[in-house]
Amino acid sequence: MVYKRLAKIVPYVTLVVVALPFLTMYVGFFMRAFGEKMTLGIIPERWSLYNFRFLWQPIAWGLEQTTMWTAFGNTVFFAAASGLIVTTICMLAGYALSRIEFRGKTFFLVLQLILHAVPGPILLIGIFFLLLYIGILHRIPGVALARAALEIPLGIWMAKGFFDGIPWDVERSAMIDGGTRFQVWYKIFLPLVKPGIAAVFIWGFLFAWHDFIYVYTLLPGTVKLMSTLIQSLLATEVIDYGYLAAMSLIYSIPPLGLFIFLQRILLKVPIFGGKGAA
Amino acid sequence: MRVFLNRVSKHFGRVKAVDELTLEIGDREFMALLGPSGCGKTTTLLLIAGFYRPTAGTILFDDQVVNDLAPRERNVGMVFQSYALYPHMTAFDNIAFPLRLRKVPKKELEKKVKAMASLLHIEEVLDRRPGELSGGQQQRVALARALVKEPRLLLLDEPLSNLDAKLRITMRAELKRLQKDLGITTIFVTHDQVEAMTMADRIALLESGRLQQVGPPEELYNLPTNLFVAGFIGTPPMNFLTAVLEEAEGKLFVRGSRFSLPLPEAIAHKVRFRGTSHTVIMGIRPEDITIGQGEIQGEIYVVEPLGKDTLVTVNIGGEIIKVIAPSSFRANPREHIRLAFFTEKIHLFDKETGKSLLI
Repeated sequence: MVYKRLAKIVPYVTLVVVALPFLTMYVGFFMRAFGEKMTLGIIPERWSLYNFRFLWQPIAWGLEQTTMWTAFGNTVFFAAASGLIVTTICMLAGYALSRIEFRGKTFFLVLQLILHAVPGPILLIGIFFLLLYIGILHRIPGVALARAALEIPLGIWMAKGFFDGIPWDVERSAMIDGGTRFQVWYKIFLPLVKPGIAAVFIWGFLFAWHDFIYVYTLLPGTVKLMSTLIQSLLATEVIDYGYLAAMSLIYSIPPLGLFIFLQRILLKVPIFGGKGAA
Repeated sequence: MRVFLNRVSKHFGRVKAVDELTLEIGDREFMALLGPSGCGKTTTLLLIAGFYRPTAGTILFDDQVVNDLAPRERNVGMVFQSYALYPHMTAFDNIAFPLRLRKVPKKELEKKVKAMASLLHIEEVLDRRPGELSGGQQQRVALARALVKEPRLLLLDEPLSNLDAKLRITMRAELKRLQKDLGITTIFVTHDQVEAMTMADRIALLESGRLQQVGPPEELYNLPTNLFVAGFIGTPPMNFLTAVLEEAEGKLFVRGSRFSLPLPEAIAHKVRFRGTSHTVIMGIRPEDITIGQGEIQGEIYVVEPLGKDTLVTVNIGGEIIKVIAPSSFRANPREHIRLAFFTEKIHLFDKETGKSLLI
């Protein structure tokens, strides 16, 4: 009897203990964002949206001003560009690797995994000079291209997995119906791997969205993204934590929204692991 | 259109999937490629469709060598075993797909799709997606899609194997009629000898990538060239018994452990002419044995009533044979009975090579 009750209680207690640090952080995060004048560093004196004033007020920045919306727009542009590049390349490469036999295919696939294992930050110096020589350093599309390159190796594997799931007969059927390889890819395969397209896009989008190191290093200080904007707020003498929390909350809404919106599709993704500079 | 395979081989590494296959399929002919799984029949079909390039040999459509033509350049219609419908398109769009790729004007396209749908009785399901169709309807859509572009050649890969038994018999007849009505050269792959026998004008029987025999169904049934063909064609399969040939009193006898039968002159002549080896394999079909009378002694092993007749398994001197008896026949296991072989229908094969001695 006692044993049975214990068996019921122990898992709950364990879960609560494990979850407690995270819960505390989240609760503190929300309290700070929506509270004013903290006592004991956690209990707010009153609730308000005062911390969200950056939504309608410019942000003082050195001698000049900027707004949160500029940084937000930049981040959307950066992440969407990166997602688009990753998706386009992975959908083409994934199809080829799934369906066409060529020399060095296995080597290429293994190489992608090895490339994925290389940590993003160690490539920074090389990428810096590469972008400099091509002439796209300090520009959001250029940096998005570099950021996309980090997610492409695993993205290719993801895309290949989706294409592998399409029966050979369907492809043969389309080819015998008169389709060229490109038509088969475009008219038959892409509609059938829609979840895959969504997953790969989100993959590219999310990692670019929360990227800091690449954005910080390769973009000039005058071009702010959300991550670098928040960082610059940290670099002041007096840190307004409520303000920071509020902005971080806004920063985290789009990826959260995407996750919730496309949760079911994302759960189908065979491999999921982070990479790059966070 | 006539299709000619001239010593076509297809190797995958060391495996010879198709080995020096020479086969001619006549204009408007319905040809079955028959054989057990792994015999190379589907590979042959994919070679003709253009998905594989032959390792050696040439494939001709009429007088044109098509070895280097891509599938889309061959104007071939194909129905796959899985039907391979495009799941994201309606039945209409599936059928229209080949026409859309050819940029057929919208009005003409609609007319052609409708005509094809009415020919195959699927007008009511045109707005449905493959997932909402029954197996039989899916097959008709696949067939319509293959035929709508008016191909020179129709290829069918095990088209009936995914249908239930009843529908299969219906579709068998319908496909045969459709092929004759449209007059389109058709090659049809199957592992089911009944399908091949019932539908095809001619059957090409393959085994291990090699052609065993090609001819009209009744020829494969009545005059199999070797043991493999004899054993593959016909249900229940032919009985094989080890026997020796003996000459006595000017007659040729075939003697087994429990029987000695004089061979009819027609058979004896062919065998003598060949100057054959002594030991042979004698083949006799279950329907060419009479039960209840005759010289040969046997013991009932089991009796299986089939409705229109009865399948009897008999043990004669340690060798098991199958006999088709009238539906009224009944007997208990271990009962002793007498059998008679219809000697005109005896087949004889060389024990070493397995080749028929009667051809």
